[in-house]
Amino acid sequence: MKGYLAFLKKEIYEYAKTYKLLIMLSVFAIFGITNPLMAKLLPEILESLMTDGIVITLPEPTAYDAWTQFFKNATQMGLIVMAILFSGVLSSELSKGTLINLLTKGLSRTAVILSKYTCMALVWTASIALCFGLTYVYTLYLFPKDETSNLMFSAFCLWQFGLFLLAVLLFSAALTKSSYGCLLITGIFIVACMIFNIIPSAHKYNPISLASDNMGLIMNSVKASSIYGAVLVSFILSLIFVLLSVIIFKKKQL
Amino acid sequence: MGILEVKQLYKRFGNREVLKGLDMDVPEHSIFGFVGKNGAGKTTTMKIILGLLKPDSGSVTVCGEEVRYGETKTNRNIGFLPDIPEFYGYMNPREYLMLCGEITGLPKEKIKSKSAELLELVGLKDEKRKIGGFSRGMKQRLGIAQALLNEPKLLICDEPTSALDPIGRKEILDILLAAKGNTTIVFSTHILSDVERICDRIAVLHDGKLALCGTISEIKKRRRHNGFIIEFENENEAILFENAKELKQPSISLSRDGNTVSVFLQDHEMDGNFLLNMLSQMHFLPLKFEVMEPTLESMFLEAVR
Repeated sequence: MKGYLAFLKKEIYEYAKTYKLLIMLSVFAIFGITNPLMAKLLPEILESLMTDGIVITLPEPTAYDAWTQFFKNATQMGLIVMAILFSGVLSSELSKGTLINLLTKGLSRTAVILSKYTCMALVWTASIALCFGLTYVYTLYLFPKDETSNLMFSAFCLWQFGLFLLAVLLFSAALTKSSYGCLLITGIFIVACMIFNIIPSAHKYNPISLASDNMGLIMNSVKASSIYGAVLVSFILSLIFVLLSVIIFKKKQL
Repeated sequence: MGILEVKQLYKRFGNREVLKGLDMDVPEHSIFGFVGKNGAGKTTTMKIILGLLKPDSGSVTVCGEEVRYGETKTNRNIGFLPDIPEFYGYMNPREYLMLCGEITGLPKEKIKSKSAELLELVGLKDEKRKIGGFSRGMKQRLGIAQALLNEPKLLICDEPTSALDPIGRKEILDILLAAKGNTTIVFSTHILSDVERICDRIAVLHDGKLALCGTISEIKKRRRHNGFIIEFENENEAILFENAKELKQPSISLSRDGNTVSVFLQDHEMDGNFLLNMLSQMHFLPLKFEVMEPTLESMFLEAVR
């Protein structure tokens, strides 16, 4: 426990000092601000570009457009940035040998994995909360009248998916020695989830639904209860992956 | 009982068998020089002792406790200095020692006083820079400081002096000597003069086993040849001595270089007195009469042949 807390402190310090935290927060902050703004301005930008002959009628932008931007940016660019930033979570320490010193001081390998996961989860939580908060406030300001449903739950699903992705990332990092290997395995895993999604009955339990059904939830075309299975499955899978990472890392020859 | 006992250690990497039944016993309060060629398995042995590598068979006990691979319990008694110590470049030495201390579970006050004391010892007291800007030698010194932080009973150093300049090397050796009072030091190297300077025991690792092991004086005594170097005033005396008929025996080998004659007596009945008697009979007064000491280098070369 002592080792876990000390190492967690070091991890947080490291993210702050190596600008990783700053990059994550600023990327998500930029998304947070631009999401509603883009939704509001896009029709006007298009209009100004139109020549006289062509007439396209665009619907008035709504809060839905802002949230579409939010979920699109966060699930695509956001998660990719996160995966790349965190892909060196173990490999950089192992290749440089910085971890050896601490392990020979009596730090347990379990504590290493758990504190690394905790720290990644904290950074992700802070980033997505910041992005969500900014989008929320701005949307309220730009589209005060529009109502959305299941907004909190939909954001929760995205957050949960991020935690799941981090668990997969950690597991891949424990399996391989390089950060590229780690990204590759994570990518393969996500693609596998997408392919798996083709089976209609699997959709209900597939973690990927947490990152693809968000708009459906908000527009009420997808019922919240239909996602519960996926929430549970991704939670359990996350636990399993973290556990597997611990087991694999314990067996690793350093 | 030794503070570190290694029994019948075997380890292979792929097809290459690195350790083939290594036995080693390190008594308390010694400085143990662990010598071997590059790639002989020194680092592998150390990593197994630290539980970082899994041996194929055999056992290691530290302070009477068996080392288990993947667990780090026995490491509380050990301080380790890796061959190329790497630290988090964004920290300064104090912050790093604080992290190490917290992991070991020392109380905060104790970490502070101990790190101040150790940084003083290794000469990094006034260093406010981040570790990222440190030279190799400074990192090596910080490495020793972090290894000594938890007052280990056993300090393991993996080639602490290689790749350092002569002054840096001397300083590191002095620091190790200073640490000797409180701890047992096992230190691997292939620089024999370092061993000679500070170690009281030596073990030579060759072909996966210890080829030579014991205190340095003991080994030297065991390996001492009956070799003598006699230097004469002029070449004539040397030639006369060399051709004396008492020395024309199969058990005596002679060689002359100018006015210096080297004599090897293989017969155990004979010793230096025999030569001294001869010299007085011939009324020669040599400029120098020297008993040949085996050098560590010659012993090492013999051991790994």
